[in-house]
Amino acid sequence: MPEPRVHLFGVRHHGPGSARSLAAALTALKPDAVLIEGPPDAADILPLAADKAMRPPVALLIYDPDRPKRAVFYPFAVFSPEWTAIGYALKAKADLRFIDLPVSNRFAIFHEDEPEPEPEGETPDAADPEPDAADPSANGHTDAPPPAADLRRDPLHYLAMAAGDADGERWWDRMVESRRASTGASSGEGAGEGGATAMFAAVHEAMAALRAEFPKPPDSDEAREEELREAHMRRAIRAAIKEGYGRIAVVCGAWHTPALSDVADKALAAKDNDLLSGLPKVKTRSTWIPWTHSRLCAAGGYGAGVQSPGWYEHLWTCADRGHIIERWMTRVARLLREKDLDASSAHIIESVRLAETLATIRGRTLPGLDELNESTEAVFTFGNPLPLRLIHDKLIVGEVLGQVPASAPAVPLQRDIERLQTSLRLKPSAEDKPLDLDLRNATDLARSHLLHRLSILNIEWGRPDNVGMGRKAGTFHEYWRLQWRPEFAINIVEAGAWGNTVEEAATAFARHKADTAPSLAALTAQLDHVLLAQLPDAADHLTARIASVAAVASDVGVLMDALPALARVSRYGNVRKTDAAMVDAVLSGLTARICVGLPPACVNLSDDAAAEMLARLNAVEDALATLARPDLTDPWRESLRRAAEADTTHARLRGRAWRILLDTGAATRDEAATRMSLALSRAVAPAHAAAWLEGFLAGSGLILLHDRPLWDILDAWVTSLKPEQFDETVPLLRRAFSTFERPERRQMGELVKRTTGVPPSPAATGTPAAESTDIDLTRAELVLPTLDLILGPPGSPQCSTLRTH
Amino acid sequence: MSKAKPSAAKPAPAASPNGQPAAAVLRAPAETLFAEELAALAAVDDRPRPPNWKLSPWAVVTYLVGGKLDNGFEVQPKYIGSRRLMEIAVATLATDRALLLLGVPGTAKTWVSEHLAAAISGDSSLLVQGTAGTAEEAIRYGWNYAQLLARGPSRDALVPSPVMRAMEDGKIARVEELTRIAADVQDTLITILSEKTLPIPELRDEVRAAKGFNLIATANDRDRGVNDLSSALKRRFNTVVLPVPATEEEEVEIVRRRVESAGRALEIPAEPPALQEIRRVVTIFRELRDGKTTDGKTKLKSPSGTLSTAEAISVITNGLALAAHFGDGNLRAADVASGIVGAVVKDPVQDRIVWQEYLETVVKERDGWKDLYRASRELL
Repeated sequence: MPEPRVHLFGVRHHGPGSARSLAAALTALKPDAVLIEGPPDAADILPLAADKAMRPPVALLIYDPDRPKRAVFYPFAVFSPEWTAIGYALKAKADLRFIDLPVSNRFAIFHEDEPEPEPEGETPDAADPEPDAADPSANGHTDAPPPAADLRRDPLHYLAMAAGDADGERWWDRMVESRRASTGASSGEGAGEGGATAMFAAVHEAMAALRAEFPKPPDSDEAREEELREAHMRRAIRAAIKEGYGRIAVVCGAWHTPALSDVADKALAAKDNDLLSGLPKVKTRSTWIPWTHSRLCAAGGYGAGVQSPGWYEHLWTCADRGHIIERWMTRVARLLREKDLDASSAHIIESVRLAETLATIRGRTLPGLDELNESTEAVFTFGNPLPLRLIHDKLIVGEVLGQVPASAPAVPLQRDIERLQTSLRLKPSAEDKPLDLDLRNATDLARSHLLHRLSILNIEWGRPDNVGMGRKAGTFHEYWRLQWRPEFAINIVEAGAWGNTVEEAATAFARHKADTAPSLAALTAQLDHVLLAQLPDAADHLTARIASVAAVASDVGVLMDALPALARVSRYGNVRKTDAAMVDAVLSGLTARICVGLPPACVNLSDDAAAEMLARLNAVEDALATLARPDLTDPWRESLRRAAEADTTHARLRGRAWRILLDTGAATRDEAATRMSLALSRAVAPAHAAAWLEGFLAGSGLILLHDRPLWDILDAWVTSLKPEQFDETVPLLRRAFSTFERPERRQMGELVKRTTGVPPSPAATGTPAAESTDIDLTRAELVLPTLDLILGPPGSPQCSTLRTH
Repeated sequence: MSKAKPSAAKPAPAASPNGQPAAAVLRAPAETLFAEELAALAAVDDRPRPPNWKLSPWAVVTYLVGGKLDNGFEVQPKYIGSRRLMEIAVATLATDRALLLLGVPGTAKTWVSEHLAAAISGDSSLLVQGTAGTAEEAIRYGWNYAQLLARGPSRDALVPSPVMRAMEDGKIARVEELTRIAADVQDTLITILSEKTLPIPELRDEVRAAKGFNLIATANDRDRGVNDLSSALKRRFNTVVLPVPATEEEEVEIVRRRVESAGRALEIPAEPPALQEIRRVVTIFRELRDGKTTDGKTKLKSPSGTLSTAEAISVITNGLALAAHFGDGNLRAADVASGIVGAVVKDPVQDRIVWQEYLETVVKERDGWKDLYRASRELL
């Protein structure tokens, strides 16, 4: 049995019922020392918890200043029992101590050979599992650990199963967190105190039984860690007893209470001292950082998380005022009303009644979150799941961002930025200064990455500066304007929640943005950004997101817009270390979808829409052509052909499609010639014929001049026209040719003049220009050196043709 | 036990429950079929019952989802699926708010409403079949014109509707396919549901609902061209959405049993369907319905049709008939392909794209599905 001076309070982290019972118990006990299962490393900054500017949810961050990636977070919400205990101790001026094994030891013992946290997973949480991830009372929602390991990881689950409940968390919720007694809804505070003490005794007993049932597993880091931690806690309790405190309150995870009850055992004390002597240590720093409700969620990857922080906060704040169910339903109704959904007071009444009836049918005294959600679904949403998601996000999770006082020590991200600024010799300055980076140079490249990453984190230190004169051309240069603003300090603190280094935080934040991006276009825009910032993990994630969003996108245009960026990733994939195989899979899926959707997407378009589509068609063609992968280009060309052959396709797109098919050899010249005369025949509306021609010839004045076969097709068609037909066609031709530059048109005219009467022949060699006879050779010679530069060394076909004259 | 709506199984209200012996009718009402279970439940049920309920809410839920009673009696499950949903449905009826069962066709809405009425009131025959032609008289009351002419307006000349009878007796009334009823007729339910009274202005009288009266309506949330409920009426209903079967196994099982019984009934001489072909059809339907592949890796577009279990059943039955009469008697990919395409492609433009995408991105890549891919390609 524990000494009467020591009072153990086994709690569930972030359990409002535990917190409430604890508050009642502490008030009754009036302890002069409060010992909390928490990192002693943070002792210095604990008093900040009472600061007026401190607003939970916040987290204690303890990290290794040399390797900021190595870090542990201890989140606290307003309804966390530990927070209640801290608050009580600071207010009652009781001695407040954290008694867990110091993080400095834990880093040194358990994380020595751990090079880096695995890249996947949600930033800080995954960077280091919360120390109580293994704590059963926290019921870590890990990704299905094997059943054997599960035994100790989540024994609550077994208690729950014994009680006939499928879910340990729900069970605990019902038994402890939402009880009427512990929430004070039906009974007064007086009853609450007695109930609170009884509850802690019951929890203690249950845990003792569990620990007896599931003995320690064979040697593992986890088991050793737990042993050390409990030894340390026992030693701290003994120290407190020795110092002569009269009433010592120990607040710890429920799982640990049985282990802490035998502090008086002398043999165990000696063993503990042995265990704890000579533990290695590393330097750590600690600070407070703002936290959010969503990161308290188990869904955020945080081991000791809770699924419904918003609901817990509701339980906590409403406990004094009563009417928890009614208030909750009213909040639901008001939220729905805000979103213009039907939600009258009558709805609230009905939903409360239904929730209570449901609870009765299930033999519960008070409706839990389950009953509330189900009755919301039945009464308010009329079978529509979307409002439920809204309720989940806004109320059940209830996004809240905490606040820490300005006096809290700087976050590691700040230090990382300072470190990078020093090593890259980029001094922050309030002055607006231009910066020219040459990306071939390693330092400049690193600078560019830093600036892009900071801009992803909303720290807009540098702005891309693309306007201005006298710039060196080429993709090797990047121009920025730098200006450091004091309010970046706040942005850094906010970004600090995402990671402890710039790279880590930017990756995590980019992934988060990818998950919340509204559209495919936003995602692809982000992809470019992420590639520039050299964040391969984020790029992988984005690619996967793009794949899933693209799958349900019904607008082929959006898909076509997304393709070029992906093609770029695929092309440079190896350079940027992205997972090329994954990108390729996404790319094939995307291409397949585009190919299926293209022909129907090209019909019934207005001229403006057709122009947009034309741009997309070209972009996709360019992207696929550069990739040169037959498995992609073949179906694409086939699809183009189907679009080109359909009469309903917009004429301009048809023209362009035939041109692409002709250029890539997917259609023969004869075929193209046939199509041209078909498209330009008399029966076709002149506007359509002109559009076809425009599409076919678009932007290729020069090519037309130099590509004899193309010229021949056009020429053959024009010459085949009868005079009266020609008269009708002239306007169309004029219109199509009007897109060409004036000099191009003049050259074409000259070409026609020269070739008149000469039947076009495929055998004709050389470019049209080469057939000209009246060239001033001496003057022509002058341009040859320049031409050499442009066209390549002498001997290449173009040059030699010219030289022969 | 099948979850799919038993074909041709809507009990005709004309078939009076006590008129004919159970053996003579094609299908007896639930309270007759499961009389033994209901009696056994009533015997052990010591929990509080709402006024005029034959069983406590707990016993009603047990009757629906099945279970073993303390005395060892085994209750067959009527509804295979979430117990949670049945609890909400029963709790709704206990709060005297009306219950609206929503779902795509073939999700056992009618089935559940019949069993609920049977368990709660011991009478599932108070039914209004909603159609576009359902008139107010079917919901309120009609007149016996001979009586009316002979003796003038009186209660004797009144022909009560099932709803009115349920109000008088404190029983559960049922309205099938509520959204097919014209909006103005639907709205006659508003007063009945909120005031629990049915005015008879002609007689300066009214019928006040006895305790225990409530109403279960079913509606289809996928069909187009229906009359959406007015928000005033919506407000009087609690909604329970009955989902499609939760797991593939469950659905395959339902399809297999139903197809086998249908095959016998139609006397199709083909071999019983290969489980593999059924599994493929169910997989395709589930994937398209859920908008993602079974392995959860690829997202898909969903077609406009419902692709319910009932449709999977008809695809297989249809394939069997094809195989028997035009093939070699064994169900092959080609036999089901046309059925699948017909079920998926309901909208010739959008659904066609959905299907083609599915073919190219999923079916083409899947091991052992080449035959289905080829068969489907030929059809396009």
